[in-house]
Amino acid sequence: MQPTEDILVLKKINKAFPGVKALTDMDFSLRRGEVHALVGENGAGKSTMMKILSGAYKKDSGTIFFEGKEVDITGPKFSEELGIAIIYQELNLIHRVSVAENVFLGRPPRRAGVIQWGRMYRDAKALFDSFDIKMDVYEDVRRLSIAQQQIVEIIKAVSINAKVVIMDEPTSSLTENETQILFRIIRSLKEKGISVIFITHRLDEIFAICDRMTVLRDGCYIGTRDVKDVTKSEMIAMMIGRELKQQFPERSAEIGDECLRVEHMSDGGRHVKDVSFSVRRGEVLGFAGLVGAGRTETMRLIFGADHKAQGKIFIDGREVSIASPRQAVAHRIGFVTENRKEEGLFLSLPVRNNIVAVAIDKIKSFHILNFGKEKEISDKYVRDLQIATPSINQRVVFLSGGNQQKVVLAKWLLSDSQVMILDEPTRGIDVGAKREIYEIINQLAAQGKAIIVVSSEMEEIMGISDRILVMHEGEISGEVKKEDFSQSTITEYAVGGA
Amino acid sequence: MGDKNAIKEKTSFGQKLNKFTDAMGVWLVVLLFFIILSVATDNFLTYANLTNVVRQICVNALVALGASYVILGGEIDLSTSNMCAFAGCGAALLMRAGVNMWLAMLIMLVVGALIGCLTGVIVNYLKIPSFIASLGMQYVILGTTLLLTNSEPISGLPEGFMTFGRGYIFDVIPVPVIILAVMFAIGGFVFKYTSFGRSVISVGENITAAKLSGINVSRTKVAIFSIGGFSAALAGIVLASRLSSGQPMAGTDIGLQAIAAVYVGGTSKGSALNVLAGSLALGLVNNGLNLLEVNAYWQKVALGVIIIFAVLMDQVRASKTAKK
Repeated sequence: MQPTEDILVLKKINKAFPGVKALTDMDFSLRRGEVHALVGENGAGKSTMMKILSGAYKKDSGTIFFEGKEVDITGPKFSEELGIAIIYQELNLIHRVSVAENVFLGRPPRRAGVIQWGRMYRDAKALFDSFDIKMDVYEDVRRLSIAQQQIVEIIKAVSINAKVVIMDEPTSSLTENETQILFRIIRSLKEKGISVIFITHRLDEIFAICDRMTVLRDGCYIGTRDVKDVTKSEMIAMMIGRELKQQFPERSAEIGDECLRVEHMSDGGRHVKDVSFSVRRGEVLGFAGLVGAGRTETMRLIFGADHKAQGKIFIDGREVSIASPRQAVAHRIGFVTENRKEEGLFLSLPVRNNIVAVAIDKIKSFHILNFGKEKEISDKYVRDLQIATPSINQRVVFLSGGNQQKVVLAKWLLSDSQVMILDEPTRGIDVGAKREIYEIINQLAAQGKAIIVVSSEMEEIMGISDRILVMHEGEISGEVKKEDFSQSTITEYAVGGA
Repeated sequence: MGDKNAIKEKTSFGQKLNKFTDAMGVWLVVLLFFIILSVATDNFLTYANLTNVVRQICVNALVALGASYVILGGEIDLSTSNMCAFAGCGAALLMRAGVNMWLAMLIMLVVGALIGCLTGVIVNYLKIPSFIASLGMQYVILGTTLLLTNSEPISGLPEGFMTFGRGYIFDVIPVPVIILAVMFAIGGFVFKYTSFGRSVISVGENITAAKLSGINVSRTKVAIFSIGGFSAALAGIVLASRLSSGQPMAGTDIGLQAIAAVYVGGTSKGSALNVLAGSLALGLVNNGLNLLEVNAYWQKVALGVIIIFAVLMDQVRASKTAKK
């Protein structure tokens, strides 16, 4: 049966966040019983759209039609009652209770207020049986594999009569075999007339399971195509086809000797498999790739934050042992983490405490903290990095994202880091502050530091790097020199080669 | 026109008042209690009562000082009550066995620190939450105390030992107050002026960021429990001296009152002075309820309500500064 009737239609949806336009005049239509791929780079607006459908965000303007009627999705409850179910990457299951209880979470079968356990298990079993899935409904969810947990989520969605199931990168943590099982379930959903929005980075999967695809880029609707009519290279062109429009400051740093070299590093194959590379003084080395490709994990291994199964690290040609962040700091490696609030800052402590957190020895005289020196140093960095704060005694929680990031940078600058690792250094900060961060990166390169930048923003990584390594599924899938930078080359490596 | 000015003046006065109460914090509460009790009772403002209050507070405040390191470092130690009894009895037993008084006290202080260190190791390396680890240690310590003393008080201690709990310097200042002052001076200094103090705050505030900033988190965790154990042992020795015997069942809720004192003092702006204020506030409440002849059972109820209320106030204060 060829699906034709539209179940869900989005017209001219707009959504803006302070400083960012997340969705601009987004159009989308979903037919009953189709599997519709939603693709785009990181930050293209996929998750914003998903959150509008789930009721987590409110749209600024535009209209949503569900089964032909205009609806105003006011909250998660409303969306659920409409029949929209979302399966997030972070699964929403209660780990310590049984599969059946999870399926009927919050609405167990009751008679006179008493839960009917027998019926609950029977009903759950029947649901799984209707999909030909073998599942022990008495088992605790925590004993299931990720793939099985995902199936439980899907069955839960079906049990609340979902008509539209949105899956956010459901295959990202599945093996090939498990993916096939998931696809089989998706096909049975189709047969039952349930529509699926399938968000993925893996282009092959679109060909394997999807009927149509819609491409988003920079929050804009680019186009919808029947999957059977497009080629992979057309898809990539749709995903990235745009001009570089952000300006990146010129850099005049001289690239010197090798500073850091990593050989055959792995964490036992979970996220990082046999990564080798080197970076030179004055060089900015970019790490591109999709979310989950193992870039952050690689950096954490270098920094000693996670346990290395294998691999050697050389600094200035000498092998060093780094088993903890303390040792990394001692070897003058700095790490500006991806999540500054969770991993980089002491939010309720003042700016001054944060700046001296790593190099506290610098403000000590005879084992006693010298507050005068602390003030002097903090003031200097606030001035040099133009951190907008009323005073160094302001708690960092009250600073804007860009200024918080500068505080993190100051912390590592004060500790004289020779190797500076920056993981998504401009995430969540506005355009003006971004440029300032790029300028700081340039200054660091000019001072002869070796810089590694992990970024999922294509323009950014091409704009600031001297050389780009692309990672795919825990391995370096390609190296691109500055003269060969192109979005299509990098994207091809990022999705595992064309 | 005139009205406008009046409003303006009023707000600026309000702001000033705000700033004042903010800076004073819980000291204002202490002052308030002090005034209320001076007015409401005849015998509060007497030398005998005040020295009594101060001596009671000293033991609690010493435990609270150690507990403040543990709490601001993001953990909790429930075993300090039993540590007090253990250290008091241990010192008493050693002295009765003929060990030199000073040596006996030194041994128990070291043992106290080591037991705290053990709790810290369990928490840090075996990854057992401190609530459970210290709950377990509490029973281990209690059992050991009962085994050593056969659950009987250890009396017959040397005359000189009583000085620590009951003595006076220049016939005016109780010795425990001197001990307290010295310990708070050291504790406050280490907290504010050393990198160790900074590590404690950093680890308590965000342990992940602390680790990734190269702070030695393991050492910090073990150290705070050691400090907690040491302080509790010292408090226990002072208590034994005041009671002129090692009491296996003494001070069953000292540890919990100490934790309460730290929270009443306010953890949003942790400092040794706040801990002292918290201890004073609780001590005055205890004493005041006694003097007002409130039924002993009702006293407990009142104490509980006051503790919750005080912490609520600290949170309101913290969120108020957060809004600025």
